[in-house]
Amino acid sequence: MEEYIDKIDLEARRKSAEAIRKVFLKLIDQIKKGEEPRLVIKKRTLANTIYDPAKKMLLLGESKAVRRFFDEGEVKKFMQTVLMASIIYDALVNNEYPTIRDLYYRGKHTIPKLSESDKEINTWDEQDESDAVLRDVEVLTNKLREEMLILSKEKGKVVGDMRIRSGRDVIDLSKMGHGAYAIESTADLIEFLDVNAEFVLVVEKDAVFQQLHRIGFWRKMKCLLVTSAGQPDRATRRFVRRLNEELKLPVYVVADSDPYGFYIYSVFKIGSITLSYESERLATPSARFLGVMMSDVFGDDPPIEELQTSILGNTVDRKALKKRYVEVLRKYGYKKSLDKKPFLSEEERKMFIIRAKQQDIARAIELVGTSVVKDILGFEPKISVKGKGERVKRHPGYPWFRDPRWIKEISIFLYTLAKLEIEAMASKGLKFLAFEYLPSKIETGDYID
Amino acid sequence: MSSGVESFRQLSPSEFFYRNREIAGFSNPARAVYQTVREFIENSLDATEVHGILPVITLRISREDPSNPNHITIQVEDNGIGVPPQFIPDAFGRVLYSSKYKFRQTRGMYGLGAKMAILYAQLTTGKPFEIYSSTRKTRYIYYYKLMIDVKRNEPQILEMASWEKRSKWHGTIVKLTIEGEWSRRVRDYVAVYIKRTAIITPYADITAILPSVEKEDEYEVLRFPRVTSMLPRPPKEAKPHPLGIDLEMLKMMINETGAKTVLSFLTSEFQRIGEVTATRILKNAGIDPDKPPRTLDDDELQRLYKAMREEKYWAPTDEPLSPIGEELIRIGLKEILRPEFIATASRKPSSYSGHPFIVEGGIAYGGELASRLDEIAQDSVKGETGPYIVLLRYANKIPLLYDEKTDVMWSIVDPSKFPWRSVYKLEPTDTVAVLIHICSTKVPYKGVGKESVANVEEVESEVRLLAQELARKLREHIQRKKRAQEARQKLSLFLRYIPEVAASLAAIAGNGRGTPDPSIQNELIEKMREIALAKIKISEDEASA
Repeated sequence: MEEYIDKIDLEARRKSAEAIRKVFLKLIDQIKKGEEPRLVIKKRTLANTIYDPAKKMLLLGESKAVRRFFDEGEVKKFMQTVLMASIIYDALVNNEYPTIRDLYYRGKHTIPKLSESDKEINTWDEQDESDAVLRDVEVLTNKLREEMLILSKEKGKVVGDMRIRSGRDVIDLSKMGHGAYAIESTADLIEFLDVNAEFVLVVEKDAVFQQLHRIGFWRKMKCLLVTSAGQPDRATRRFVRRLNEELKLPVYVVADSDPYGFYIYSVFKIGSITLSYESERLATPSARFLGVMMSDVFGDDPPIEELQTSILGNTVDRKALKKRYVEVLRKYGYKKSLDKKPFLSEEERKMFIIRAKQQDIARAIELVGTSVVKDILGFEPKISVKGKGERVKRHPGYPWFRDPRWIKEISIFLYTLAKLEIEAMASKGLKFLAFEYLPSKIETGDYID
Repeated sequence: MSSGVESFRQLSPSEFFYRNREIAGFSNPARAVYQTVREFIENSLDATEVHGILPVITLRISREDPSNPNHITIQVEDNGIGVPPQFIPDAFGRVLYSSKYKFRQTRGMYGLGAKMAILYAQLTTGKPFEIYSSTRKTRYIYYYKLMIDVKRNEPQILEMASWEKRSKWHGTIVKLTIEGEWSRRVRDYVAVYIKRTAIITPYADITAILPSVEKEDEYEVLRFPRVTSMLPRPPKEAKPHPLGIDLEMLKMMINETGAKTVLSFLTSEFQRIGEVTATRILKNAGIDPDKPPRTLDDDELQRLYKAMREEKYWAPTDEPLSPIGEELIRIGLKEILRPEFIATASRKPSSYSGHPFIVEGGIAYGGELASRLDEIAQDSVKGETGPYIVLLRYANKIPLLYDEKTDVMWSIVDPSKFPWRSVYKLEPTDTVAVLIHICSTKVPYKGVGKESVANVEEVESEVRLLAQELARKLREHIQRKKRAQEARQKLSLFLRYIPEVAASLAAIAGNGRGTPDPSIQNELIEKMREIALAKIKISEDEASA
């Protein structure tokens, strides 16, 4: 069987197996010396997640936790961590490709009782538990699961004028027919052979990706077209990062015009809070948010009659809002003139706009923070959370969203409480989307980076 | 006193007790059975252990007359010192004739109880009292069948006989038949009396043969074999303490003394009075020290008594006391209750009103305790919530079964007053047996029934201190046990995970195929066990708890 496996795989396996041995053989040394075995792991907590403005990435801080075997509260977790490491090691040296579900099943068993009265204990019961220690093993070994040949469902796709080697095969990404190349879990094992493209366009929505592919967008625009099909998985993020880093291609992201779409862009660019330890290899700090922007929908100067008269139960004066809009942008250092015209007419907006819900507003607060939203609205926003009633949702906000360009977008969102999906742009006309909207945005440099 | 008015017929002591039998515990047929058993068993114990003999006592209760099912025959046999034949008629047939009329701790005070039983038998069934007795010195066993001439307070001998002994047997067998009741309740009280006696007399061999309550001709046998040959320290006779007597007693002592002067009467008949003290007393009383004691008139006697009471003395000696001792309490509790834990304590001798007393006791917890509680104790563990306190009360080595709630001992350990939970950390489900023994030359009983001890301040204080000491020791045990249990749980948790971790690590360290290396695995298991055991030290004491 081994003769069918390519060298890149084997090399990755060897390195990862070595990384596991290096960490866990230390425990054996400790035990042999009569010391209590302990693992030192960087904390994967929000408090230990740091935004590095220079690198423009989320990174794990230096705060560390010691996991001891001889501690009643930690002994199980310790056992699970060592068990997970041994399962991964076993898979690595036996040329297997487990999924995280496989890891869960392989490790799950009942721990033998010492006496009749002992309670029944399983190594783990839910996949949540095995997933958590898998993340610990990643942090401990400084190896991502993909580098350890752990597979997950393929979600991302790519097409474009490019040749790659995957395993032993050379694949021409321009000859995928109506389909596309599914980005493999182990994106690091892909070899870039040659490329003829000027930029990368990442489209969040799979349907829009297909539309752009069929209308020949990437050929005409000389780009690589990628979709994450929703929330991006690790492989897609790593693949995009490599395109940017190794091929020096600028990356543009297109997502829905709402706080959730903005957040998906942020995952590509900065990383996700829960998995900050992977950011260093998965994030693309120079990724650009191309659209759809609220200012693409309403223009830089949203029509006064389309502003809300009541926001979160507070009656607001539209004129005052208009005034406040300019003041807030000035306060946060917005320099450019506010002269962008909307891409949609008033009638089109009426057709395509969706009303924002409480949870959309909550996410907006999460992005820029409570204090900025208070400046934008002039009052502290109260969000009713399911079952908990109305309360002030306080959030410090993410530093990379405290950018005047983002504050402008969030302001328009809060004043109009409107959302717009990318599909709406295609509904106006696919050609409009592909050959007017997107190219003009790129040409005029109307993006946020 | 002696010169009464002619028309008033003098009441003999026998007649007096006969008419007032309630005060001696013979108030009804049920109580009479219990009381008779009690009196004879106590006599038997006093005839043995006080004289250095390991007691062997057999109680037989039977219904010998089928036509009179209420006629209960009670027979008690012991291996005591026996009664010399010439004293038998008076010892059992004349009230106030007793070897116990001495100043020391004994179970019965004046040997009155047995005579009350004989009188009660005579009154209710008309049956005489029978006794076989032999001392260690004689070669004969003597037999008497007696009745008491109540009016004359004289023994009436119906039959007497003697046999030559074929063995070295000595002791006494008494037998009488009273009108009584043999119900479940009476049986339980008799059985509990025997069991509780056995707890504090592990040096005794006690057998009780009791008729079945439900079925005629069936008997149950309660056996309490001897578990130790250690006897409690016997009481020594001591002279009375000057504060421990009343005026009547003083007069009696003057009548009996051989002293020639009042001064020598005081120094020779009392403890804690020397020449100096005696001189001062007599000076304060205005009595000539050389005056012969029997010439004191009533007024002088009053002054002497008053002056004696006003004097300060050393506390009375505890020599006449015979505590059970912590070791015997421990042995007894262990043998009868088989608990997980026993603690004992003994207070230093103390005194009230010139009477020395000692409070001692034990506490038992866990193990088979709950299933071994006697029939009366089981009532203490009823109710919604505990901790349940089973109180085993003793006064001068007599188990007290009646009137528990009015007793000073209960007033101390009562769970509604004593902080068993808040301070001593007992759980609501816990059952604890508390044994308390008060011994004194004069136990301050409440009333004449002698079933409950009064709240005398000095006694109450000592009982409280004893209960606190016992409870504290129990708390230490429970906490030690808890800690040990936690440590054991912790250890077993580690031990359970060790093989898992060892297998995983051995797989990583193994042959590059992911299968565990058995030698590394075994070494890791061994090493980790060592670390675990070193980390969690469970002392031998705690491990066995």
